[in-house]
This record gives sequence, structure tokens and C-alpha cells, in this order.
Amino acid sequence: MIDSKPQTPDLTTRLGSLTLKNPLIAASGVFGYGLELAEFCPPAQLGAVICKGISLEPWPGNPGPRAVEAAGGLVNAIGLENMGVEAFLRQALPPLKATQAVVGANVIGHELADYARLARILADSPVDFLELNISCPNLAQGGLSFGSDPDLAARLTEAAVNPAGPKPVWVKLPPLVTDIALLAKKVANAGAAAISLINTVPALVINARTQRAVLGNLTGGLSGPPIKPLALRQTFLCAQAVKTPIVGMGGILRAEDVVEFILAGATATQIATAILVDPRSPLTILTDLRTWLTREKVVSLASLRGALKGANNP
Amino acid sequence: MTDAPTITQAPVLALTWRGQNLFQLTILAPPGDWGDPGRLAKLRAWGQPPAGQPLLDRPFSVHRYRPGARELDFLIRVVGPGTQALAQLRPGQTLQITGPLGQGLRRLQPDFPQTPLYLVAGGVGLAPQANLLDQLQAPAHLFYGERRGQALIDHDYLAGLAPNFTAISEDGLGYGQKGQVTEPLLAALNQERRAIFACGPPGLLTALAPVARTYKVPYWASVEAFLACGLGVCLSCSRALTDGSRIRLCQDGPVVDGLTLDWGKP
Ligand SMILES: Cc1cc2nc3c(=O)[nH]c(=O)nc-3n(C[C@H](O)[C@H](O)[C@H](O)COP(=O)(O)OP(=O)(O)OC[C@H]3O[C@@H](n4cnc5c(N)ncnc54)[C@H](O)[C@@H]3O)c2cc1C
Ligand SMILES: Cc1cc2nc3c(=O)[nH]c(=O)nc-3n(C[C@H](O)[C@H](O)[C@H](O)COP(=O)(O)O)c2cc1C
Ligand code: FES
Repeated sequence: MIDSKPQTPDLTTRLGSLTLKNPLIAASGVFGYGLELAEFCPPAQLGAVICKGISLEPWPGNPGPRAVEAAGGLVNAIGLENMGVEAFLRQALPPLKATQAVVGANVIGHELADYARLARILADSPVDFLELNISCPNLAQGGLSFGSDPDLAARLTEAAVNPAGPKPVWVKLPPLVTDIALLAKKVANAGAAAISLINTVPALVINARTQRAVLGNLTGGLSGPPIKPLALRQTFLCAQAVKTPIVGMGGILRAEDVVEFILAGATATQIATAILVDPRSPLTILTDLRTWLTREKVVSLASLRGALKGANNP
Repeated sequence: MTDAPTITQAPVLALTWRGQNLFQLTILAPPGDWGDPGRLAKLRAWGQPPAGQPLLDRPFSVHRYRPGARELDFLIRVVGPGTQALAQLRPGQTLQITGPLGQGLRRLQPDFPQTPLYLVAGGVGLAPQANLLDQLQAPAHLFYGERRGQALIDHDYLAGLAPNFTAISEDGLGYGQKGQVTEPLLAALNQERRAIFACGPPGLLTALAPVARTYKVPYWASVEAFLACGLGVCLSCSRALTDGSRIRLCQDGPVVDGLTLDWGKP
């Protein structure tokens, strides 16, 4: 008998030792501690959820205004306000893990030792993986971000990988560096289980009439639709440079955007600003992605990975 | 009554201009406790991005709520693309509404309808005052102030909202006398002390905290911030309290105890 039903596309995504239901991950900073939006988007229906950046002690964040719309995107300077790792493990994580969601902890610090200590603490916790946010200012280097120096980023990765024990350590790259492929290679060699990119793009919004910066922190980070072409290009360059799986993000709003990141070489994707626009968007994208793949007769996303063709190639 | 916000397509029932740049939008209310004065909703009357812009929904306080008729009013000042799009709505069309969001006065003052009040509104900060006035059974006086050159609201509409009110504008060109809204408020406080409920620009709300302290009266303020999500996840609306702890205005506000918010830390 011939099965006339169209094959449902397989969205299962393998990322090193992790197996995700699908390639859609709620990015750090827009999904709270994982349960706030559960009515709109149950965390267990996503490939994974990544919690707000977690530091050793609570951080207060930046003075307001902390966000503003610009150029069809969002510029934010939240300043990594968070409850600190102790409260995260005690209050936030247990109910989130009880939903069976795959949970990543986004890790932030001011010096290498902060990352190492956080990795050690999280190694013994129920989180499924760590994601190092290396866009934080490094106090030992006058506030220059860890990610701006590939060797420093590699040392930071090493400092976290060992104490993290069995937990996969992802490293999340900033977009604006001289050589993103070199940065990707260095952190991959240092033991990153996956490379996620991009973080927000440094930005400044000015009000001409008041002659003032709009954000309390002066500068912020641009996210959303305007950064997608930049994110795709950086994803593509990293995927060319390393074998380590790439988790792409930046301006994903629709299923087609996810497909574009996969074509550029990503294995999975993260969604940030779209969740602020509509908390249901990851589920909408998931449904639309299934429909898209079925319509295009693509049986697995893996077959699209890195399959990008040049404009004039057959 | 349910408290969890929903995302709904709601029919527009009416759009009525209440000033040159100010309109009242009436929609069929989705389920929810909209009567808690100060609560808000996010509205969207344009498509989804990237084509549909602006990117984010826009937040507005509930202006009036008629639970019997399930009618919900917003009082909206046109300032940019989002409010312009909302101003184009016609009866029969629908908009997307997310809410009810946040906490109004009820949590801080459960018996607010029996509380004698001075209501202080700066400009479109008038919006949530009507939701409160509609429920008040105690004496109330509204102090309504407009900025220089604003001339925001139709006189008759304002007069219809509050039985007792004083209107004042910085340049005397708007409605009422010339001056700052704090001047008639101070005169009233010297006559009789009452709790203050205020909504308006940050300068006004900040200035009222020492006034409330001096006169030893409770002070509740509906505070604005840029709300990127309105649902408690992004922390764009986070503010410090005087004890150093932090709140999210979209969850723990927008109505806050004006004596415990740290006005010095924006
Ligand atoms: C709790 C709260 C209650 C409000 N209630 C009312 C009300 O009852 N009536 C009314 O007319 N206005 C109200 N506002 C203000 C209203 O949200 C803005 O005027 C509106 O978002 C402007 O959008 P726009 O696209 O027309 O203008 P824009 O040109 O985009 O913005 C004009 C101004 O509004 C601010 N703004 C834009 N987007 C947001 C956002 N997502 N959150 C907060 N501020 C934003 C901008 O920072 C700018 O200062 C309220 C705001 C808040 C936070
Ligand atoms: C409000 C907000 C808060 C964010 N907080 C964090 C954070 O704590 N840690 C982090 O690594 N990235 C953070 N990000 C960056 C996002 O995770 C993501 O990298 C970026 O927004 C690009 O994706 P997008 O275009 O889909 O938004 C934040 C982004 C936004 C908009
Ligand atoms: S607006 Fe996002 S947390 Fe309040």
C-alpha cells in the first residue's frame, strides 16, 4: 500500500550531547526565568529555553529608560539585571525543570573567575547546558568586552568548560569583531560545545530635539529585524570556520527566517525580540516551519544545513 | 474574575475625538478585571513585523470600563506612528489587545471607592483617573494640568468626567487658569488633607512625593516606562524602591506607592 500522507518533517535537533525536540530556542533576556510566559508559550514545547543572564550576585541593571524602538528594531540597555545564581537555583529553576523543558543558563560575569565559579555551581544543578555571554565588560581590562579579544574569549571558555563538568558549554558571540571566524575557531578549540550568535549590535539612539541620548545608559544593543542580514553573514562565516554546531539568531520573526539561518549553516536558532512582539511567536513559527518544510518537500532540516548556494550557482 | 492576560482580537465600537489630538477609543472588552484603576492593555492596530510597523504593541491605561455593556474605553493622545494607526480605526474593525496588565490601585488601597481623594492628572495622565472616578463613592477633586501650548482636551468632556475639578495650564492658553497643577493642590491640602492619586509626566509625579510627605497623606502614582513586553520578562520597566529592592512596573505597577518608589533612580 502506498502511504499518501505527506511525511511530517522531522524537527529533532542534535546539538552535541543534547537532543532537542525542535530547533527553536527562546533566547536569553526575553523569556524571564522560563515560566512567566508559559500561558502563551509552554517552555517544554520549544527545543530549549535560555534564562536571563545569571551572575554570582544579583545585578541591579542600568538606569532607565532601558529600551526604545529604532529603525524597525529594538535598542535595549537593560544592564543584565538578574536575581543572582543562588535565587535562580532555589526559586526559578525547580518549577521550570518540572515542566520537562530543556533549560540553558546564560552566564555573565566581570572576570574569568566569575565564569569559572558559576560553571562550578551550575555543574551540580539541573540546568541542561550553559551559555557564556562573553559580551560583558571585563573589569580587569578596563571594561573592554571579553568577546573583543579572541585569546581572552578562549581563556574564558577554558575557565568555564572544566568546572562545568558534564554540562555542555555554549559560547555566545558578539556581532562586531574584527574576525568572527577567528573568534569562533578559538572558542571552539577551547572546548565550546556550541557557538551561538549574534548578541545585540552596539547602538546609540539620539533625540535631536532634546539633544539627548534616549537610553539612560547612553548606548544599548540593537535587536530584531534590522540585524538579520548581519546575523546571517556572521552565522555563515562561523559555520564555514568550525565543525562545532552553530546556534543562529538575530531578527528571527518567521519560519522563513529560521530556514535562512539553517541554510547559512546553523543547526538550531534562537528567538528574542519576536517574543517581545508576541509571546506566542515561537509556537507560530514552529507550526509555520512544519508547513513550510512539508510544502517544500524537505524531510529534515539537517538536509538544508549549510546548503546555501551562491546567487548564480545552479 | 480572571486575572491572567489574554491576547484577543476585539471589535472597535466607537472612536470619538475629545480634543485636537486626543481621542476616545471604545472596544468590546475581552474577559478580565478591567475595573482596577490604573490597569493597562497593549494595543496593536497594524500588521505583524517586519512589514507591520511599529514593531511593538503600544501600552495604554484603561480610561473607563462599563462591565454591563462590556465596553472598554481608552483615551489616547496622538504622538507617533502607533497612536496614529489607532486613530484610523473605525467601528466594525478589530484590533489586537493584550491584557489586562499590571496592578491598579486596588492592591494598595482595597477600599479605594470609599477613600476621599485628590486626583492629579498631567495631560493624558487623565486617562486612568476616569476609571477611578467612575467607582468613587467618597469626595474627590480632580486637578488637571496641561503643559505649555498643549491645549489637549475639550472642556465639556473634562467637565463630564469629574463633578469637582480644577483645570490649569502652564501658559494659561489651555483650559482653565494659568500655573502649575501643584499650586491648587497645595491650597486644597492646606484646607483638608486627603490621599493623592496621580498620573502624568515624571517631573510631576516626582514633585508630588515630597508634597505627600509634608502633608503626611498617602500617595499613589501611576508611573510610565517604556514597556517592551508588558508581560514581566524583559525588565525594561524595572524601577528601584527606597529599600533597594526592584519592581517591574508592568507587573507590580503601573500604580505604585509613591512614598516607597525611589524617584531619584529612573
Ligand atoms: C503604563 C502606561 C500607560 C499609558 N497610558 C496612556 C494613555 O492612557 N493614553 C495615552 O495617550 N498614552 C498612554 N501611554 C503612552 C503611550 O504608550 C505612548 O504614547 C505610545 O506608546 C506612543 O506610541 P507611538 O507609536 O504613537 O509614538 P512613538 O513616536 O513611538 O513614541 C512616542 C513616545 O511614546 C513612547 N513609547 C513608544 N513605545 C512605547 C512603549 N512600548 N511603551 C511605553 N512608551 C512607549 C516613546 O518612548 C516616546 O516617548 C501610556 C504608557 C504607559 C507606559
Ligand atoms: C530585552 C533584551 C534582553 C536581553 N538580555 C540578554 C541577556 O541577558 N543575555 C544575553 O546573552 N543576551 C541577551 N539579549 C540578546 C538576545 O538574546 C539576542 O541575542 C538578540 O536580541 C538578537 O536576537 P533577536 O534579533 O531575535 O532579538 C537580550 C535581548 C533583548 C532584546
Ligand atoms: S515591560 Fe517587559 S518586564 Fe515590564
